[in-house]
Amino acid sequence: MKNSHFKYVGKRIPRIDGPEKVTGELKYMTDYQFENMVWGKVLRSSFPYARIKHIDTSRAEALAGVLAVLTHKDIPGFNGFGIVVPDQPVLASDVVRCTGDAIALVAAETQEIAEHALSLIHVDYEPLTPITDAEFAMTDRAPFLHESGNIHSHVTIKNGDTEKAFSEADIILENTFYSPRQMHAFIETEGGWGVLEPDGMLTIRCPGQYAYRDRLQIARALALNPARIRVISNPIGGAFGGKDEITVQIYLALLALHTDGRPVKIHLSREESVIAGIKRHPFKVQMKTAARKDGTIIANQVRAVADTGAYASLGGAVIALAIEHCCGPYKIPNVDLEGFCVYTNNGISGAFRGFGVNQVCAAIETHMDMLAEKLNLDPIELRKKNVYQKGDTSSIGHVLKTSVGTLQTLETAEKCELWKNRALHKKDISEPWKKRGIGLATSFHAVGMGIGLPDYGAATLELMQDGTFKVGVGCEDIGGGNGTVYAQIAAELLNCSISSISVVQGDTSETIDSGTVTASRSTYTGGKAIAAAVPNMIRLLTEAAAEIHGVMPENVLMGDDELYALKEDGEKTVTYKDIFHYLYEKHRPTKVEGHFMLPKEQEEFKGSGGAPHHLYGYLTHIVLVEVDTMTGETDVLRVVSIPDAGKVLNPQGLEGQAEGGAVMGIGYTLYEDVLMEAGYHKTTNFTNYILPTIRETPIIETFPVDSAEETGPFGAKGIGEVVMIPIIAAITNAIYDAAGIRIKHLPATPERIFAALKEQEASTPVNLNE
Amino acid sequence: MKTIDFCVNGKNVSVICSPAKTLLDVLREDAGLTGSKECCGKGECGSCTVLLNDVPVCSCLVLAGQVEGERVVTVEGIGTKQAMDPVQQAFVDEGATQCGYCTPGLIVASRAYLTSIGHVPGLDEIKRALGGNLCRCTGYTKILQAVQTAAARQLSSREL
Repeated sequence: MKNSHFKYVGKRIPRIDGPEKVTGELKYMTDYQFENMVWGKVLRSSFPYARIKHIDTSRAEALAGVLAVLTHKDIPGFNGFGIVVPDQPVLASDVVRCTGDAIALVAAETQEIAEHALSLIHVDYEPLTPITDAEFAMTDRAPFLHESGNIHSHVTIKNGDTEKAFSEADIILENTFYSPRQMHAFIETEGGWGVLEPDGMLTIRCPGQYAYRDRLQIARALALNPARIRVISNPIGGAFGGKDEITVQIYLALLALHTDGRPVKIHLSREESVIAGIKRHPFKVQMKTAARKDGTIIANQVRAVADTGAYASLGGAVIALAIEHCCGPYKIPNVDLEGFCVYTNNGISGAFRGFGVNQVCAAIETHMDMLAEKLNLDPIELRKKNVYQKGDTSSIGHVLKTSVGTLQTLETAEKCELWKNRALHKKDISEPWKKRGIGLATSFHAVGMGIGLPDYGAATLELMQDGTFKVGVGCEDIGGGNGTVYAQIAAELLNCSISSISVVQGDTSETIDSGTVTASRSTYTGGKAIAAAVPNMIRLLTEAAAEIHGVMPENVLMGDDELYALKEDGEKTVTYKDIFHYLYEKHRPTKVEGHFMLPKEQEEFKGSGGAPHHLYGYLTHIVLVEVDTMTGETDVLRVVSIPDAGKVLNPQGLEGQAEGGAVMGIGYTLYEDVLMEAGYHKTTNFTNYILPTIRETPIIETFPVDSAEETGPFGAKGIGEVVMIPIIAAITNAIYDAAGIRIKHLPATPERIFAALKEQEASTPVNLNE
Repeated sequence: MKTIDFCVNGKNVSVICSPAKTLLDVLREDAGLTGSKECCGKGECGSCTVLLNDVPVCSCLVLAGQVEGERVVTVEGIGTKQAMDPVQQAFVDEGATQCGYCTPGLIVASRAYLTSIGHVPGLDEIKRALGGNLCRCTGYTKILQAVQTAAARQLSSREL
């Protein structure tokens, strides 16, 4: 089908929520104001690991202006939360395992009184020695942080015979890679409102990535029927996975039960957000890769250890996805892969854009670059030789049944200006002591939840009084613009103007359960659910129009923004407004639903924790860097992002993801790391957490490959995560191309680069990098 | 508690608050103007940027007492949905907002910058002007385009 057949799909449609965002008119959750409000505050642990001997709240309770002081004793239901395993206490009772652990909650007339009350709560601790190293946590010498031990999960995938392959290999590379504890650094910190309504409903307004699951976790802690809780989770000032887990929803709910119906607000300071919020899992990845002289990769052995901190959250799923993706989009016949997700007292790690793939992609794509150099092969040729295509079997033994665009992304990379003229670009240095280099990497990322987890989409479509349509999808818009894509799909299929579509998301009273906004799934899933709802709406409209004009439904045809009935005396127009009033007067419903089950693979690889997925998005990055050999600083000057996201529904939105992902990947590779010492955060706020600013923004070009995934809405797949993955190794490969140093410990700070340059200077010019 | 009189978005307002309350909190809680956002509370991110006598400042670093008798413009004073400023229109057209939480601060800072110049700025100039505004979603590329687009439109409308 040609692009031109579509009115909205594939077009640069500006965001439908743009005007209210640029004018400041949009109300985020913490922008609401309520009369008679009270402030909520959370008491966090003073120690990364300690036994709680006693909690005395009496002085805080006696303070004037304090409405409630709550501890674990005040939790009516289950004292725990966690998406997969609810191992994190809502309010700690006997042990604290990280400084983010909450011990008590306060509601008070003012913020100042609430803060003062926190200082009056006395907690008698018995400090314990914190476990701060994941490898140590796995040994017999480490005390158990949880009853089940310190290894939260262990996943393995084996295929072929790696030992035999290693013995037959022409070249073997073996390296260890370390990755940082990246902070989501959403601009809006965690916060919101809780209110017990006069009718007994509990309303929680708090940004999140899955209102229905947040509601379930609240209900479990409160022992309250979920039907009596309304969660409003949209709009959101950024999430990136960091608002996937419960943040302050349960605290708001508990406090709201004790404030006599007065609305209670919590809004974390950046400092509290740094301590309490989840982070990207720091990984140690040991990788051994074998190849033949001709560049055929014959074996890969991986051992990855992820530090999930004090609680599991989605750590088990993160390490599973990492292991599923750690061989890249290649067909390596012999693999031996294992991953561990390990408890420590280092804060809490959880979901973050890329979900474990970032850390392992850095390893395999560095090895690809090293192999290309040692075998004297072009880096793109080497990759093209090893990539799988649709119908092939991947390294983990998975026969790919959906579209695979790696080869097209590599062919596009080969033809792009930056790559073709790389020798010229390298020479074009800005100062004599600076060196330029160009690096490339490719990767992939699953779309959807994988085997063993429910994965469905659902949408509502409602005809409104003014003849417009309201699309309801549970999936929140965490910034990516899925709401605009939903409007495009609905307008295209209903053959109406996009201005006749409104979209509601993330509200358990206004939308039906459509799963999470994670796993790059919401465009694909929500889009298909809307596409499933549209025929139901067309049937409803057609039948009503037929009744209005007394014709058979097959004599009702769809026009632009209206229907018309074919009658003996000519065509009779029926507007959607007319239909609404007709149905309204007859007390008939004007709302329909659409449902969609994500296709899945039939069999799980035993021990893999959910592999394989059915659908993947692919992407190749090329970057140009300049390394300052005097200071060790690296500037990324140009980025080319070549995604295979299936059919691109909105090029402007896709570019927005590609650009944002590239800059987040630059931050991850060069600057960002939440530093911890003995279980305490040394990083406290944005003063000492360095994020890329507009000044570090390179020229970013996005060239999506033309492809379509037949199972997706109009052929679309997903894009949200893969956009920040290959760039990590592309940058470190470019640093090598520029300065001859391999950075295997991220971030590649000026200090690390400078030290590597000094080491290179001091040693003989023989290969340093194995 | 003190009565503080100042002008916000062209209107004289009078609020009763502690003079040590931040201008950001006064705007959000007392003046009902929630367009300006708090993200870091330390002057690092620019999400709370407002104009104080036409100069962009972080309103989280300004105390209520300091604005007595002064002129403040927030994002709400730059333009409304019904009557958008060219900077706001360009941000929408170029896709320069995603989650939108940093956007009000960027709109105010961009407006102030474009008012101060009479040409279409180069990328390096915009990068210097907006270096104090953090955005985590967009990767800034479309923000750079939006500021250039707004500048070009502003110039052509002046020439008409």
